[in-house]
Amino acid sequence: MIAVLVLFSTFGQAAAQSSVRPPSDAVTVAPMEPTGGNVPGDVLGNTSDSVIWHDLRKGAKGDVTIPDPNAGILIQSPGEDWRNIRNVDLSKVRQDQKTVGVSQPAEAVNWITLIVNWVMINASLILLGVLGLLAVFFAIRGRIKIKGGRSGRVMPRFSLVERIVHWFVAILFVLLAVTGLILMFGRAGLIPYIGADTFGPIASAAMQGHNLFGPLFIPAILALFLVFLRNNFFRLIDLIWIFKGGGLLGGHASSGRYNFGEKSWFWWATLCGILLCGSGVAMLFPDQAIAIVQHFYPDVPGGRFVLQWANLVHAVFAIGFIAFAFGHVYLGTIGMEGALEGMTRGVVDENWAKEHHDIWYKEHQATVVTDGVKAEIEAAAGHV
Amino acid sequence: MTFLEFTEGPLWYIALAVFLAGVVWRFVGILMLGKPTDRSVARHSSASGAIKAILLHSVPHGGNLPRTIYHFVVGYAFHLGLFALLLFAAPHVEFIEERLLGVSWTSMPRWAFIIVAEVTFAGLILLWIRRATDPVMRKISDWDDHIGTWLLFLAMLTGCFALQASNDVLRAIHMLSVEVLMIYFPFSRLMHAFTFVLSRSYTGATYGRRGVTP
Repeated sequence: MIAVLVLFSTFGQAAAQSSVRPPSDAVTVAPMEPTGGNVPGDVLGNTSDSVIWHDLRKGAKGDVTIPDPNAGILIQSPGEDWRNIRNVDLSKVRQDQKTVGVSQPAEAVNWITLIVNWVMINASLILLGVLGLLAVFFAIRGRIKIKGGRSGRVMPRFSLVERIVHWFVAILFVLLAVTGLILMFGRAGLIPYIGADTFGPIASAAMQGHNLFGPLFIPAILALFLVFLRNNFFRLIDLIWIFKGGGLLGGHASSGRYNFGEKSWFWWATLCGILLCGSGVAMLFPDQAIAIVQHFYPDVPGGRFVLQWANLVHAVFAIGFIAFAFGHVYLGTIGMEGALEGMTRGVVDENWAKEHHDIWYKEHQATVVTDGVKAEIEAAAGHV
Repeated sequence: MTFLEFTEGPLWYIALAVFLAGVVWRFVGILMLGKPTDRSVARHSSASGAIKAILLHSVPHGGNLPRTIYHFVVGYAFHLGLFALLLFAAPHVEFIEERLLGVSWTSMPRWAFIIVAEVTFAGLILLWIRRATDPVMRKISDWDDHIGTWLLFLAMLTGCFALQASNDVLRAIHMLSVEVLMIYFPFSRLMHAFTFVLSRSYTGATYGRRGVTP
């Protein structure tokens, strides 16, 4: 028994002597600024470990002799913030939107990170909000019927080329939107319900699908722009259309082949398409993207800065694109009688044309026929 | 037995058996229809007419190019891409060696695989959109055409989803979709992959015998 006590006592003293805890009377020395060639905290050890790690976590930069100056940063602080944001439960972050700002000194917070944080938190609200607004609008206004009903006469509206390009973009858009939203919100929105083990293959599949279909979107959106550019320039009549609320609030709003809403959608889709394709390519080929950016702007810091921007632009405009698309799909399907067939069969009812695109209707009145098949063939041939 | 073991084991062999038996059955059935006796004096060779038809109908001819340029370009992009993926994608080469032939060949590098996959997907989607929107194509299409296209798209899509090759479930889902496609194949118009030779040569032989270029 005595021997055992002696043994414990000896080990206890040894353990006390080798403890990493500072003695109670220890004085913490203010951290030294890292200078050329020096290790933060310096070799004398007069800076505490916690201060060293604090500085590193905040992105303290040392000197390196290799070409990449960023190699001197042991922990890239904004990147670490981004990882934290990606990994946390967004509902908890939403409760305390200042998580990043509160827990870290203000100077260490990268403003891009804050914006990304805001986007991640609010993007889902924006999308759900748009869906909610559409649901409310549908509940109040109902399906917009053709005034006077169907006439039984139709006219060509969209050519075969226009329809093929439209549906090609639409199919790719849906594939990219679904896979992209899984990648963006999967951690916060799916893991709590299906678990990380199930989410793993879904995320892997979404990433592969997104990367494969993404490049196809570039020629698709370019074709969409070229094919639909004609008739999509804004005109004075669009201003009047805006003042009349597009006829949704009652009354008649005149328009040509496309109204203000459709033109806005065209230009918004073009802008989003360009930015999404550009930022997507930058993320697929980061080295080349960084080299190009630094070629034109040599002062731009290293790679992560460019990729953070690409990530941010991609997320923001994807959400904007999808949100606007909800409205487009709504009006093209359940929201308005007679609209969808223009893009499926290529023809629209005469009364629908009179009501929604009266100026265009007057210009193409001669194409109105009772034979729907004939009109479809005319539309397919491009006589629109 | 795991889901993957099931799809790569028993189900694979069942699908393969149905596919092979079905293709042979359809092929033999067509051949057994025979050909009515032609009592006219042959002006030219039926055989050369058949060969001409197979070759000539593979490219636009007789001033048809402007009218068929879409179908020609997109159709070839899809079909060639599909065969390249089927035979030269690295996971497929490996699978064929392990499960079918016991021999392998050089597979495509990954960058080529990605490009070919992009082209093939674009081709399939564009062909289907044309089928759904062109008034003539819509008239001559039925559910069989659409189901065949969708099953093929599904098989390609699940293959693309499993590209990372790091998850058994994704691989098993791809196998399952391929097996469903293989079982459906012999009983659908997807059989044109084999029967186009018969139909073209029949037409070509008939026309060739009469001295007409098919």
